[in-house]
This record gives sequence, C-alpha cells and structure tokens, in this order.
Amino acid sequence: MKFEAFSRTKSVCPHCLRVLEAERAVGEDGCVYLLKRCPEHGEFSCLIWEGPLEEYLAWNTAPGGGNAPPVTVPAREGCPDDCGLCSAHESAGCCVLLELTKRCNLNCPVCFASAGGGEAGPTLEELAALYDMLAARGGPFNIQLSGGEPTLRGDLPEIVALGRERGFTFFQLNTNGLRLAEEEGFAARLRGAGVSCAFLQFDGLRDETHLALRGRALAKIKRRAIRNCALAGLPVVLVPTLAPGVNVDEIGAILRFALENAPHVRGVHFQPISYFGRCALPAPERRLTIPRVLREIEAQTEGLMRRADFAGGGAESPYCSFHASWRVNPDGSLRALGRRASCCRSADARDFVAGRWGAQAAPDAGEDGFDRFLREAAESVFTVSGMVFQDADTLDLERLRRCHICEADPGRGMVPFCAYNLTARDGRALYRR
Amino acid sequence: MDEQKSYYVIDPEGKLSCHKCGVPLVRSNAVFGYLDNAFPVELPVCPKCGFVYVPEDLAMGKVLSVEKVLEDK
Repeated sequence: MKFEAFSRTKSVCPHCLRVLEAERAVGEDGCVYLLKRCPEHGEFSCLIWEGPLEEYLAWNTAPGGGNAPPVTVPAREGCPDDCGLCSAHESAGCCVLLELTKRCNLNCPVCFASAGGGEAGPTLEELAALYDMLAARGGPFNIQLSGGEPTLRGDLPEIVALGRERGFTFFQLNTNGLRLAEEEGFAARLRGAGVSCAFLQFDGLRDETHLALRGRALAKIKRRAIRNCALAGLPVVLVPTLAPGVNVDEIGAILRFALENAPHVRGVHFQPISYFGRCALPAPERRLTIPRVLREIEAQTEGLMRRADFAGGGAESPYCSFHASWRVNPDGSLRALGRRASCCRSADARDFVAGRWGAQAAPDAGEDGFDRFLREAAESVFTVSGMVFQDADTLDLERLRRCHICEADPGRGMVPFCAYNLTARDGRALYRR
Repeated sequence: MDEQKSYYVIDPEGKLSCHKCGVPLVRSNAVFGYLDNAFPVELPVCPKCGFVYVPEDLAMGKVLSVEKVLEDK
C-alpha cells in the first residue's frame, strides 16, 4: 500500500523494542497508519484509525499541557526506557494498578499480565510501602486492585484499609468475577471493606466468546457475579476485551444487557485487544480502532448511543480513550450528557471516574430534596468508555508520555501501563518481571 | 454581602430573625425550583413575609452540585 505521511512521532521496533522514528500517514484506503522502519528488522505499518484524516484530526480536542507529574525521576535514555514517571512525562497519573498476586483461577489465552503460576504477591508491608510511594508522588490516586486475580488474596479488606489509612478513597477491583459468583457474602464483605466497584471482565453473553478469550464457559458465572454484587450494593462496570472475529458483534448485546442491569451496572468499559503479554490470538490485518468501535456501538444499538455522543480523553491522549455518559430516563430512553473533552487534569479525571463508577451513598432519614435529586441523578447516569492500549506495533511515544494509568512498581515507582506491559514479538518484556 | 445580610439578623444566641418584619425565622418547608425541577427542603423561613434563609454552605454545596448536574457541567 502507498502512504502519504502527515506528522511524525516515535515508536519502537516490534522485534527488538529499539526506539524508531515513526510517521503517521494516510494509506490508499483513506485510513490512518503508523509507519516505522527498523534497520535490522525492516518496515512496519499498522492501522491506528479506521477512518479519514479529517476525522482523526478532529478527535484531538484536548491539546494537553499543564498536567506534569509533581515528582519525577530523571529522563536519561529517553522514553520509554526511564519510566518512573520521568521528567519528560506529561501526565500526573490518575489510576494506579497494584498487582496483588500473579496467581489466577483462570488460564486465559489472552492476558496482558501473563498471569498464572504460584508466585505469592507482595506482603502487606510491601503494599504499605507502595501506597506511601504513591502518596509521595502526587497521590491519592484511584487504586486498581489487580493481578493476577486479586480476589485470590485473603487479605483484600486489609489491603483496602491500608490505602484508606493513607488517604486513598477509590478502590476498583479488577476481577474475573469467579469468587464473586461462587462465594456467598463475598461481595458484601468487599463492599463493607470499602471496595468502590467491581471492574468485571465481561467479554460477552455467549459462552463461545468466553471459551475463545478465557478458555472456559463463563456466561452463567458472570451473571451470578453481577447478581451478587447488586445484592451487596457493590457497583459493577462491565469490561469487555474486544477481539476481531470473536465478539465485536456482541457490542450491542453487551450494552443492552448493561442497561437492563443499571444502576447496579454503572457502565461498560471496552478494551479493544492489544497484542502484548500472553496473547494466543494473531494480530489481524485491520486492528480494532476507536472510530470502528464507535461505529459498531451506534449501529448495534440502532442509534440509541450515537458516535457523536463520544469524546476522547483529556487527561490522557485523546487517541487512547473514548467516553460518553447518558442520563437514563424512566422510559428507558437516553439523554447524552455534555462531552467532557476539556477535562485535562489528572485530579479531575480521578474525581470523574470515582463519580461515574463508585458506589453512591445510601438514602438516609435526613435526605432532603437536593440529596434525593443528587442521589437519583448519580444513579441514573450510565457511562460507556474504552481504552485502546498500545502494543509494540501501535506504540506512539507521544501518546505514552500522556499516559495516566500507571503500574506501581517497588523499584521504579509509577510506570505507564503500556510501557510496563510492552512485550517484543518473542515475549520479552520491557519492564514486567 | 452587606446587602444580603440586611435581610436577616442573628441575635447573640445565634437565632435568626427577619430584618424587615422583626420576627424570628421558623423551620418550615421551602421549595426550590430550577429548570423544571422542584426541591423540597426544610429551612428557616419568616412566618410573616415568607423570606427563606439559605445558608451559604447549602448554596455553595448541594445547590451548586444540583445546578451542575442539571446544566451538564
């Protein structure tokens, strides 16, 4: 295919991860590609926007700036080799993942963390030190309790308490939902311990989808997990990994299912698949990009949710994410809320996430008209969002420098998610141990 | 602020009274209306002229939050 370049950035070689000059270019098909050439491994092109250049450029409504991290480590080798966050980073951080264990009760064919095995996670003392490190680097951040499967830790309540003692207020549990489904009272215990929401892996309604991505038929288990969370008042965000040829055609069904289960289900957060970590699926010719996902949402919901309702991120690069919120009317119709592309500081993004996904206070006897309105308003908001993680093919260092989702690492500090999980074609990781 | 404060008087015991009518404010039901929504709230009200005292923390807190929701800010 012939290409016409329109801007420059940097990326890495998918084979050796060396930093390369890269170009953004329009291909003969009218879509936007990332081009790069490694002196050792040759030329690479990867679809990054399945739509015309005008649409790509118009999506960039948040120019960035003014959001530098307050505490950094020196940038010596340059991006992406000095993460910590380094002094060249352009985002203060919003959400931070604490990886509590490498163990998992699934063995998914697709796992960015390559989880599995018997390695015990960090001790409570080590986790306390991570919280302290985060507090000193601009926290409190929204915490993602992650792994591996974090519910395999028996001391989750203590882990949340450690964070709360240090001023952290929002705790999202990144879970496959097995224990939530199978253990009576578990969701209630987590809610009581201060977990803010279950960020539930939910790839679709068909067992074939779960078999392809998770290696096990999970449709009934997922429904039971949601029911148990609803009974316990633990809000749920459904998190589908979208894989071409597997579940892209389930987008509409997932959204309808989520709306039927609102307000317990607060929203859906799509993650188009990235080809890093353990990934048994081969990368297709045409990657799943933001405009394609938005077109599928509009088509598969028959216009209930419109492409025009969505905006790109602001605290991070707009090319990393999309989001929209609606008020759900009593008759089931939706009214789009204002687009928030102008939200450009990490602290605003943290509050926004906590407000949309977190538990709402239960009504009390002293509730007045304002309280009731605010509670009902919060409960009636439904959010659809998504994040397109970068892998070695799609990595754009301009995007990476604005990343605000970090992994907490005892040796390095805060490492942007897509740097931490970056792997070469042979599986070699840049950061992950 | 001076002009606002002239609507009510706080006596040494902290009780509120209506500046215009000179009578103590009493707890009563008031209704805020904004963009086709009504919000019943219990607030100090003058029993004579109907003046409603809106505490600053209510105006800058919940009322502001409600405005933001209704205006999609």
